[in-house]
Amino acid sequence: MPNIVEIAVSTEGFSTLVAAVQAAGLVEALSGEGPLTVFAPTDDAFAKLPPGTVQTLVDNPPQLARILKYHVVAGRWAQSDIAKEESLPSLESSPIPVRVNSAFEVKNATVVAADIEATNGIIHVIDNVILMG
Amino acid sequence: MTTTIATAPTLPASTHQFAEVIHRLEAGGSMLPDTPDNLKQIIGIYKAYAVPMDFYWRDLLYIAEKVFLNPLPAFKYFISKEYLDRQNAYAGDQASLRIWRGPGDAHPELREFMAKGESGRKLPKLLHHLWHDRVNMEFAEACMDAMLWHEDINPTFNAYLYTDEYIANSDRAIRAYFKGNPLMLGLYKLFPEMFLEQVRRLSYYANLGLFWEVMAPVFFEMSDLYDEGKMTTVPEAMDFLVNGIFAIAGRPIYHHVYIGDECYEIIPKSQGFTWLYEAALPYVEAVFYRTAPFRGTKSYNAQAGQVPDDQKDFHYGILYADVFPVGSAGIPPTLLMQDMLHFLPDYLVEEYQQHSRGEDDMLIQLGITFQRSMYNVTSAVIQALRCALLYPLDDPNPEHLKANRAFFEQQIDRFKRPEARLDDIQQQSYR
Amino acid sequence: MLSLLIWLPILGALLLAFLPIKLSATNARNAALAVSGASLLWTVVLFTRFDLGTASFQMREFIAWLPLLGLDYDLALDGLSLMMVALNSLLTWIAICSSSTTIERPRFFYSLMLFVSGGVAGAFLAQNLLLFFFLFEIELVPLYFLISVWGGEKREYAATKFLLYTALAGAFIFAGFVGTVWLGGTLDFSYEQALQSEIPLPTQIVLLGILLVGFGIKIPLIPFHTWLPDTYVSASPPVAIMLGGVLAKLGTYGIFRFGLGLFPEAWSALGPFLAVWAAASVLYGAVTAIAQKDIKRMVAYSSIGHMGYVMLGGAAFTELSVVGAISQMVSHGLILALLFHLVGVVETKVGTRQLDQLNGLLNPLRGLPLISALLVLSGMASAGIPGLVGFITEFLVFQGSYSVYPIATLFCVVGTGLTAVYFVILINRTCFGRLDNETAYYDKVTNGERVPAFVLAAIVLTLGLQPSWLVLWSESTSARLIAAVPITQTAASLQLETSRDSVNDGAHL
Repeated sequence: MPNIVEIAVSTEGFSTLVAAVQAAGLVEALSGEGPLTVFAPTDDAFAKLPPGTVQTLVDNPPQLARILKYHVVAGRWAQSDIAKEESLPSLESSPIPVRVNSAFEVKNATVVAADIEATNGIIHVIDNVILMG
Repeated sequence: MTTTIATAPTLPASTHQFAEVIHRLEAGGSMLPDTPDNLKQIIGIYKAYAVPMDFYWRDLLYIAEKVFLNPLPAFKYFISKEYLDRQNAYAGDQASLRIWRGPGDAHPELREFMAKGESGRKLPKLLHHLWHDRVNMEFAEACMDAMLWHEDINPTFNAYLYTDEYIANSDRAIRAYFKGNPLMLGLYKLFPEMFLEQVRRLSYYANLGLFWEVMAPVFFEMSDLYDEGKMTTVPEAMDFLVNGIFAIAGRPIYHHVYIGDECYEIIPKSQGFTWLYEAALPYVEAVFYRTAPFRGTKSYNAQAGQVPDDQKDFHYGILYADVFPVGSAGIPPTLLMQDMLHFLPDYLVEEYQQHSRGEDDMLIQLGITFQRSMYNVTSAVIQALRCALLYPLDDPNPEHLKANRAFFEQQIDRFKRPEARLDDIQQQSYR
Repeated sequence: MLSLLIWLPILGALLLAFLPIKLSATNARNAALAVSGASLLWTVVLFTRFDLGTASFQMREFIAWLPLLGLDYDLALDGLSLMMVALNSLLTWIAICSSSTTIERPRFFYSLMLFVSGGVAGAFLAQNLLLFFFLFEIELVPLYFLISVWGGEKREYAATKFLLYTALAGAFIFAGFVGTVWLGGTLDFSYEQALQSEIPLPTQIVLLGILLVGFGIKIPLIPFHTWLPDTYVSASPPVAIMLGGVLAKLGTYGIFRFGLGLFPEAWSALGPFLAVWAAASVLYGAVTAIAQKDIKRMVAYSSIGHMGYVMLGGAAFTELSVVGAISQMVSHGLILALLFHLVGVVETKVGTRQLDQLNGLLNPLRGLPLISALLVLSGMASAGIPGLVGFITEFLVFQGSYSVYPIATLFCVVGTGLTAVYFVILINRTCFGRLDNETAYYDKVTNGERVPAFVLAAIVLTLGLQPSWLVLWSESTSARLIAAVPITQTAASLQLETSRDSVNDGAHL
C-alpha cells in the first residue's frame, strides 16, 4: 500500500497540493511513520483562492507549511471516528471544526472522497482549502 | 470575494437592527453605501493616507531594525536615506508581486513634504521636527502601542515573545548592540526583563511596519485605478482590498535587527508568522475597534464605569470615534488627520470646500471621510474572513447561507453600541 | 450742540423711512450705521468739551415752547447725563451692528431704532420734567413695534405686556411730576424750578414713593419685574440690547435725577428701605437666573440683579456709592449688551437657547470658539472678576455702601457670588462638553457678527484696567448730589477720602 505522499502524487487533481508540500518541505514528514490524517484539497480547491494567494505562500515555505499543517491531524481518523467529534486538533495547533451529518464537512469544506487508506494514515479529499481562524 | 450576485432568495429577510447592511454584505457589498460621493471620498483619503503611511512603515522598520535599543532615541523619526530608498516589497520593478505600478522607494510627495514641510520652506530638519511640521510618527506609535497592549488578540505571536528561543535571540542582539558599553550591559544584567520588554515592543514596531508596507502600495494603486476610471463603485474598491488581503496573506512577519554589518534574527521568518494572522487581523481589532481611551479633550472616568473593565470591550477605535470634537477622537488620530491634510487630492479639497465650513473644518471632514473609508476596509476584512472561513455568497446550500448570515450579523453586532458610527456613515450628510 | 444728539438720529430715521428711493437691506443697515456712527462721534466731541470742574449742568440749550404749560425745550448735561448719553450712542451703534443683514422690512426697523435712540438721548438731556415725560412716553411706540414685529415667539404678548407696564410706569411718573410742581407752588416744569421748590418731608416721601414705583417698573425692581423676562426674551438681540442696555437706564436715571435729585431728604429717610429693596432685587434676580434653562432668559434675569446694585449705590447715598452706581449703569449696559449680542449669535447659529441642548461650542473647528471665548469673558465681567469693568463698578458700590448699610451690602456681595454660579452653569453647559455629531453643522460666524462683540469686549477690558476713565466724569456730579443733603455732610466727606483711595486702587488692579 502506498503512503500519503505517494497517493497524492499518483492521483490526478492534486498537483497543486503536491507542489505545495514539496515547496514547504513537508514531503518527509508526510512520508514518515505517522499515522496521520490528511484533509487534501483538490486543485480546484486551490484555484478557488484569489489570485496570488498560493504564489505568495509558495514563495515563503515556513508560512506555507503552517497552512498545510492545518490540514493534518495526528492519528488515523476515519469518517466514523470523526463523526463522534466536534473538532480535531491540527498539527498547526488550531482546532479544525468537523461535522458529519447528511454531509461530511470539515470547517467550510465538504469531503468529496473520504477514508482513502494509506500505509501511514488516512486521506479525506476536500473541496476547499481550509484556513485557521 | 469578487461575487456581486444578489442574495440567494432562499433566506428570509434579516431582522437585525442593521438589516439593510446585512443584506448589502450578503449581496457582496460593503458596509458603506455604494454612492459616487462615497467612492470619491474613500479613494481620495486612501491616497492621502498612503503617503504618510509610506513614511510610517519605513520609519517603523527603521526604529525596529536600526535604532533598536538606543537609550536616547531622540532622532528615531529622522529616518536614514537607506530606508527612504528601500524598495517596497510590493511596488517598483523589483517586486515579486507588484501591487502598485509606481516606484518602490519613498513617494515623491512624501520626499517633497519632508524637505519643505507645510511651511514650504527648506529649513533644517530639526526645526521642522520641533515645529511639528512633519509626518507625525506619534500616530503610528500609538497604533503599535494598541497592538502591544491588547496582547490577547495576537496569541500566537505574543506567546512567541516569551519563549526561550525569543529570549535567547534577543539576548544575543542586546549584547551585540551594547558591546563596549559596560553601563548598559551592567543595567541589562540587573534588569534583563526591562530590556526584553523593550525588544518585544520593537518586535511590534516591525510587525506594524511590515503590515503597512503592504497597505501603502494597495492604496496607491486604488487611487491610480480610480484616476484612470477603472474603479467605479464602492464594492469594487472593497473587492480590490479583499483580493489584496488574500494575495499577501502569506507574507512572513519577522523582526530582524541590523547591528554593524550583522543581521540578528529576533523573530526569524522561519517561525511561520503570516501577514494575515499575525499582523492584519490583530491590527484591525486593535486599531479599528479597540485602541485605548486617548487623553484628548474628553476625559473618561474609569471609576464611573466609563471605561470597560475588560480590555476586549474597548471601543475607542476609528469605527467608534467621535471625530467632531478635535482631540476627543484622541490626540494621535488628530495627528493622523493633520498628516493626511497635507496630501489630499485636489478633488477632495474641492469637495470639502463646498461643505460645512470649507477650509476651516477640513480636519473634521477628512476625519469623517477617513471613518467611512475604514468602514470599507473593515468590510473588506469581514468579506475576506467570510471567504476564508465560510461559504461563497452564491452557495446553493441554504445552511451555508445561514452560516454566512450568522457570521455577518455577529460582526455587525459590534456596531450596536451607541458610539458606533455605522448608522452615521449610511448618510451622506454626516460630514 | 446737544440737540444734534436728538435730531441727528431722528432726522436719519425720517429719511430712512420716507425717502422715496429703493434701498436694499444692506444699504439701509449701512445708512443706519452711518447715522448712529455720526451720533457716536458727536458724543466723543462732547466728551472733549465737557468741563470736569463744573459740578452743575453745562452746555445748556433753551427754547421756550409752551410757556403756558411750563413745557420748554430745555437741554443740559452733567456727569450723569453724559454717561447715559454716551451709553445710548454707543449701544445704538452696537445694536444696529448686531442686527441681521437680512432683516425683514429693514428701512422700518432701522428708522425705529434710530428714533428710539434720538428720543432716549433727549430724555437723558431734558431739563424739563414734562419734556422728559413726553420723551419717555413716546419711546413706547417704536419699541412696541420693534418687539411685536421683529420679535421671537410670543412677541405680541410680550410687546403688549411691555406697553401696559411702561404706560403704567408713565402714569406714576406723570403723577409724581405733576404733584411735585403743583405742590411746589409753581406752574413751571423746569428742573431748576423744581429743585428750588420746598415741600414738607411727608409729602416729599409720598411723591418719592410714587416716582419710585414708576421708575421701579421701568428698571425694573422686584416685584415690578414680571414684564422683563418676557420682553427681553421675545425681543430680537438688537432690540434687547437697546432695552436692557439703554432703556432700563431711563429708570435708574429717572430715580437719580428726579427722585434722589429733587427729594434728597426724603431719599435719605427712605434709604434703609431702598437698600433692603435693592438687596432683595439682587438676590431674587440671581437666584431666579440660576433656575433658568434658557440662556437669554438667564441673561434677562441677571439684569434684574445687576440693576439692584445701582439701587444699592443710590440708597447708600455716599459720594463713592453714587459714583459707583452711575458707573454700574454704564458697565451693566456694556456687559448686558455684550451678553445679549453673544446669546443672539449663539441662537442664530445653533438654533436653540436651551441649556440642555447647547454643548461644546468652544470646539475650534465646528463650534463657535471666538464667540464662546467672549461669552466666558462677559460672564466673568458680569460676575465681577477683577480686571474687568464689572468688578470696578460693583466694588465701588460696595465700598461706598458698606459703611452705611452693611447688611444689605453683604447680601449684595452674596449676590455677586450667585452671579458667578449661574454664569458658570451657562458657560459650562454652553461652551464646554462635547459637540453633538447629529446637530453640529453650524454656519460660520461672520466678521460682521464679531465686530460688536470685539468693540464691547475691548471697552469692558480697557475700563476694567483703567477705571478712572470711567469714573472721573461723574465724580463732581455725584459730589453735588450728595451735597444737597446737609446732614450727611461729614460722613460724605469722610467717604470722599476713601473714595479717592479706592478708585486709585482700582486703577492699579
